[in-house]
Amino acid sequence: MKYKKIKRSIAWLALPGVGFLSLVFVVPLLALLATSLIGPDNHFTLSGYVSFFSDKFNFGVLSNTLKIATWVTLICLLIGYCVAFAMASASPLIQAIMFLIFIIPLSVGVVVKAFAWTILLRSNGLVNRILISMGIADEPLKLLFTESGLIIGAVHVFLPFMVLPIFAVVRQLDHRLAEAASTLGANPVRTFVKITLPLTLPGVVAGCSFVFSMTLSMYVIPSLLIGDRYQTLPGLIARAYLFMRDRQNGSVMAVLLLSMAIAAVVLSALITRQLQRSQKTLASSV
Amino acid sequence: MNPVKPLRSSGFHLKPLKLLQFFLLLGVAIFMLTPLIVVLLVSFSQSAVFNLPSANWFDPDFSQWSLKWYRSMLNRKELMSTFSLSIFVAVTATLVSLVLGTLCAYALDRGTFKGRDALLAFLVSPLMMPGLVLGVAMLQAFRAIGLYEVSIALIIGHIVITLPYITRTVHASLNLFDMGLIEAAQTLGTAKYQAILKVMVPALSPAFLTSGLFSFLASMDNYPISIFLTTAREKTLPVEILKLLEESPDPTIAAISTCLIFLSILTLYIAQRLVGLKRLVQF
Amino acid sequence: MSTLVLRNVGKRYSTHQVIDGLNLEIHSGEFVSLLGPSGCGKTTLLRIIAGLTQCDDGEVLLDGNDITDLAPHKRGVGVVFQNYALFPHLNVYENIAFGLKAKRLDAEAIDAEVKQALLSVQMSQFSDRSVAGLSGGQQQRIAVARALATKPKLILLDEPLSALDRKLREAMQIELKHLLRDAGMTAVFVTHDQEEALVMSDRIAVMNKGIIEQLDLPERVYARPKTAFVLNFVGLSAQWHGSICSQGLDLMTIKLGEASIDCPTQVGMSVGSPVLIGVRPERIRVQAVMDELESPIDSLVDIAPDRKINKIRMTVRELVFRGSNTLCYLDSALAGEVPIIVELSANTTYTPQVGEGVDLVWAVRDTLIFSLDPVACNS
Repeated sequence: MKYKKIKRSIAWLALPGVGFLSLVFVVPLLALLATSLIGPDNHFTLSGYVSFFSDKFNFGVLSNTLKIATWVTLICLLIGYCVAFAMASASPLIQAIMFLIFIIPLSVGVVVKAFAWTILLRSNGLVNRILISMGIADEPLKLLFTESGLIIGAVHVFLPFMVLPIFAVVRQLDHRLAEAASTLGANPVRTFVKITLPLTLPGVVAGCSFVFSMTLSMYVIPSLLIGDRYQTLPGLIARAYLFMRDRQNGSVMAVLLLSMAIAAVVLSALITRQLQRSQKTLASSV
Repeated sequence: MNPVKPLRSSGFHLKPLKLLQFFLLLGVAIFMLTPLIVVLLVSFSQSAVFNLPSANWFDPDFSQWSLKWYRSMLNRKELMSTFSLSIFVAVTATLVSLVLGTLCAYALDRGTFKGRDALLAFLVSPLMMPGLVLGVAMLQAFRAIGLYEVSIALIIGHIVITLPYITRTVHASLNLFDMGLIEAAQTLGTAKYQAILKVMVPALSPAFLTSGLFSFLASMDNYPISIFLTTAREKTLPVEILKLLEESPDPTIAAISTCLIFLSILTLYIAQRLVGLKRLVQF
Repeated sequence: MSTLVLRNVGKRYSTHQVIDGLNLEIHSGEFVSLLGPSGCGKTTLLRIIAGLTQCDDGEVLLDGNDITDLAPHKRGVGVVFQNYALFPHLNVYENIAFGLKAKRLDAEAIDAEVKQALLSVQMSQFSDRSVAGLSGGQQQRIAVARALATKPKLILLDEPLSALDRKLREAMQIELKHLLRDAGMTAVFVTHDQEEALVMSDRIAVMNKGIIEQLDLPERVYARPKTAFVLNFVGLSAQWHGSICSQGLDLMTIKLGEASIDCPTQVGMSVGSPVLIGVRPERIRVQAVMDELESPIDSLVDIAPDRKINKIRMTVRELVFRGSNTLCYLDSALAGEVPIIVELSANTTYTPQVGEGVDLVWAVRDTLIFSLDPVACNS
């Protein structure tokens, strides 16, 4: 009897943490949702959402945000997938070095990195100098305050979040599966497409969902690299709260951003669960 | 006897593929590190126009290098107070999160109540939300209840983003811990709470250290929440840096950034010494 | 024509030579085991045959064609892996169909082949199942079916039964053997379990440190081991250390401490060489000590029809009852590193006591002799 009591009482250890989060995290979010749904006359209304969506400018902002997120995710996926494989087949020393090379920028933080790119992307910055010396461009390209510059900076910041999950999956792949495929007559291309690629999908889904939702919500990088003329949804939200004090509009947009981020996470969780179901690892004893 | 054939060079392993692999990794490594190196170099430049100190990479003219931006950084009193606020918030938030997070992780691991998975998902969920939205929500809420004290608001906000990470890491580590060791210690004469302190805490220390150190760094770097909870007079370092960049950009910012870079590297080094690179890899 | 020929195959890893100057010929339809301890190179050899590892020296020929440099997917060599390597994201049907799809057969042909393969391993009702839910034995059958479905010229099996429990393993040994024979498959089977090799093989290649010590029929590997290693690795034996004291045309006399015994003359050995004497336990009869005059040689005619016998006196140290027989551990100053063990069958008339002196009697021609001279060993 006493044992059961102890077991149940252990659950209460979580109370401080859970209580804290509920108070400081859940309640404000609910309040935010409420604000977005309450009009100036303090009645429940969807007019905030309606007016947001009826403004053509906002569609432009949404499409910018989604476009950038998609581009960054795709580029990170392309580079990150290849890098993950290259790392997984390298020596342990190289793996450790590459791991550090990804972790150090992660630890440094967004502000320093975004600042660094403002230097690099200038007309006389390193990127342009390299492009000109390699003959790719005749004169300095305008990269700062353009979408391209933003995408480059964002890729730099978010690439580790694509590489590390995929690397974790690739590292655990049973290389004997690829060997089995080749002994069954599959050439290297078929082996990759039919065997290796499907088995790396969980890592790909994780990486893409991280990068997509983080790019969607990024604020510092666009603020430094592309400025006020090009607005993304986070930029509009910050503006609404910091400068314009437009509560309702700001909260509508915040709820919208939140929904998109949650949708990305939920979608990836569903896909991952589906993949896990069809790819249950075998309980073989070797 | 057949004549012995000479040593064959690798046939199946395509040489071009190995070359490609090498260049890919090298290229990505350069891509990842160059921005940090550039910041470092700019911090030593003479001019105020964000130039690299010397154009010739192979013959760095150190006479062109200057420490004036570092001196400028140290002279600014408001930078020092900003820095100390950041450190204070980061340390406090991390410590509180460590305590709360460990309690939660322990409850999740050892408890047998229903809904454990849901609870874990709830505790980890702030990580998936845009920081901006959290900042905005908290700003509104704190104003509504009349909380205007910046350091408290920041600490609360930063706990929200560090607690999930610590909970998840400690919980994962707890999962791997063999509770039988506690029972073994008890049969050898230690009371349960002593056994926990002497056996479990050391085994979990890598998780504490890595999640604590990374939380500290995350808090030092945080902008999306901090921007909404700080005021014109009391700022954290990232907020200050961005303000400087917009108002009066000069390489002092590079000096500050370089210091932050070294802070991060130092933190990573400490973590690696305490925990080992292998365990760090599992963060 | 031989299906598989390995000529002077060598493989080096940075620290040592894993396989050295290895020659092997396997005939069509044969079941050959590579038997040896871990580290002897048997799995490396298998991988070289499959093309998963490249050899540094030598050639591999399949049906007369040099496949040494050929990529694995072009060789037509089927492999059953130790952990089965079933594709977790494909179900049973798709696993078996995989190799057939790689051959670009049309859907009908694939369907027919897969159904046939499933039938041959009695797993037809598992066609739609995911591989994760299968037991070890079922996975093993699917792995075999998958390899056989592509009708390879040769099938390689890397300790496929080692993960199964004893009873299942013994049943699968017979089943696998029949399956491969019915398919007319040439098979190379890697194992460290000498009983398994003896049960299943047409011929056994006993490997040690990268070379084949003996390639022979199972009966001969057991009864006439060529080297001390094979003697020890396959089966039990009673062993003594001694030296050759005289050598004749037919027989040699070996001095074992105080006693001496005879054995058939071997070439390459000279008087004075240190030797190892071995006798298989079932070839030895344990007798109560008797006077020379009383020894009824006629009673030993079943183990020594030519009436040439050896006799050694030893003391019983321990008796271990095993059900169908009793193991008798014997002591003597002559014993080598291996304890002298003799089997007493359950229906023997004579049971010695511990501490008793007994005579071990066996036919001269069953005496196995191996040189311990390091110079002689290298020739």
